[in-house]
Amino acid sequence: MSQFDGPNVIFEARGISKHYGGVVALEGVDLELRQGEVLAIVGDNGAGKSTLIKALTGAIAKTSGTTHMDGQEVQIDSPAAAKDAGIETVYQDLALVNELSITKNVFLGREILRKDLLGRVFGALDFAKMDREIRDLFQKLDIRIADIYREAEAFSGGQRQAVALSKTVMFGKRIAILDEPTAALGVRESKMAMDLVSSLKDHGLSVIMITHNMQHVLQYCDRVMVLRLGQLAAVRDVKDVDGDTLVGLITGAIEDRAA
Amino acid sequence: MTSVPQDSTTQVSTPTANSSGLDVLKHQFQQIWQVLAALVLIYLVFFTLSEPFRSLDTLLSIFGQASILAILACGTTVVLISGGLDLSVGSIFAVVGVVVGIVLAEYQLSVPVAVMIGLATGAVLGAINGTLQVFTRVPAFIVTLGGLTAYKGVAEILASGRDLSRFPESFQMLGSGYLVPMLIMFAVALLTGLFLTKTQLGNHAFAIGGNEEVARLSGVNVRKSRIYYYMIGGLMAATAAILEVSKLNFAMPARGQSYELFAIAAVVIGGTSLFGGRGGVGKTLIGMLIMQTIIVGLSYMGVGTSVQRIAIGAIIIMAVYWDVWRRGTR
Repeated sequence: MSQFDGPNVIFEARGISKHYGGVVALEGVDLELRQGEVLAIVGDNGAGKSTLIKALTGAIAKTSGTTHMDGQEVQIDSPAAAKDAGIETVYQDLALVNELSITKNVFLGREILRKDLLGRVFGALDFAKMDREIRDLFQKLDIRIADIYREAEAFSGGQRQAVALSKTVMFGKRIAILDEPTAALGVRESKMAMDLVSSLKDHGLSVIMITHNMQHVLQYCDRVMVLRLGQLAAVRDVKDVDGDTLVGLITGAIEDRAA
Repeated sequence: MTSVPQDSTTQVSTPTANSSGLDVLKHQFQQIWQVLAALVLIYLVFFTLSEPFRSLDTLLSIFGQASILAILACGTTVVLISGGLDLSVGSIFAVVGVVVGIVLAEYQLSVPVAVMIGLATGAVLGAINGTLQVFTRVPAFIVTLGGLTAYKGVAEILASGRDLSRFPESFQMLGSGYLVPMLIMFAVALLTGLFLTKTQLGNHAFAIGGNEEVARLSGVNVRKSRIYYYMIGGLMAATAAILEVSKLNFAMPARGQSYELFAIAAVVIGGTSLFGGRGGVGKTLIGMLIMQTIIVGLSYMGVGTSVQRIAIGAIIIMAVYWDVWRRGTR
């Protein structure tokens, strides 16, 4: 069965469906993620890409389907449950709170508390330790943000995305899920963000990434799954496809027998 | 991207862990200097215009009048930062006053017990607001507007036919004079400030007020946190009510009327955003002092309460307009 499907499958989802009343946003989608790969999810607007990752990460309740980590079924019914399972997600436009400093953003929801009585009783934060960890992290990832006390709002799109991506290294023990990491970025900033995405596997992460950029799929990803009208249309190794084939699969001009 | 770890940008403005304290202070001063300057300016205007205004007594009475409302406004600050709104704190104030009055005058329990019962009442009423809002998804404005009238009714029922006055002397000391209420105001403000800036729950108020969905997706328990913020609002209203009952030496359900509006006004004048995510308790203290300086100053110049109300109303609108304008230009 599934555990024999491919090399080192660490995460899989079976029959993921999401219905909004009578509207079917997703129907019976399967997904398989291998250790250390970057898996692209592509598809037209409304194909169900964002719905799929939201359902996988507990941001929305799925109508049906199961998720498995290392062959064991795991219940992921809230963002916190996804994090507990080692999955860190960067949602499009919902990555950072503008009003919070970089430090507070990176640690939001997982702040480090002081070890003393103040921390245990009042939830007092250990800012020195959080600042130290962020500086280490940024140095490791070559992210050049010096003023980590400033509000996130003050930074450029590329810097903000770098901060959001750094969270996956800080907290994602297994998997990073990214919703269009280069949306709204310029060419140079896109390249920086994608280099960072590529480096995630060096930090032990496997990556699922939604993108509209076929060049990024071909250049940075290992496999690609195509969604069409809420259903899985095809899964291919990137080395076996070209841009035209991908576009054909996305629009339905090319039908995939295997799917 | 090169892999040189220390480039010039990093070296120039990287504060070390040691200098961060100073940086934070500098940052906080940058946040409040404008309202602080406004307060000093307004004070100086009245100082110039009115002879009797120029006394230490006047200054003390400004602080004295500000203190009880400022305590209430500290709670309002927390709720507004988290993107919430509580219109019912004036009525919570009334209920707590009456409850403490009954406990002291009728049951003759000890002062510490009465204070504890009063604080607990405020916290519970605040938590009811928060819980209703979080689980029914009825907007905060409506839930707490309901609370405003409902709690008022509760206070009236509890107080009817009772003489709630002549409390023990040890209780009267709490709110008498200027000094004790002022000290309690500073203590409450300090604790609220520490809560907002140094604790996890306090930091989450800014996150939830800034972007609730990001906070939720980051694993923050938004519902539970919100209930706590309303509880804190209720607790502060109770603290203020206990001080006022002590000061007046009687309790009646009509007290606290419009206090929620004065509190919101002070918070907004101070520069805390009505839209959530930004603000602080130091700003609120200054906002309250601005309001009281104007009220006291105008009375010294013989301007009646009706005109004072118009002035305060105009200032509230200007303060919110400034907030809106600042958001628009970001």
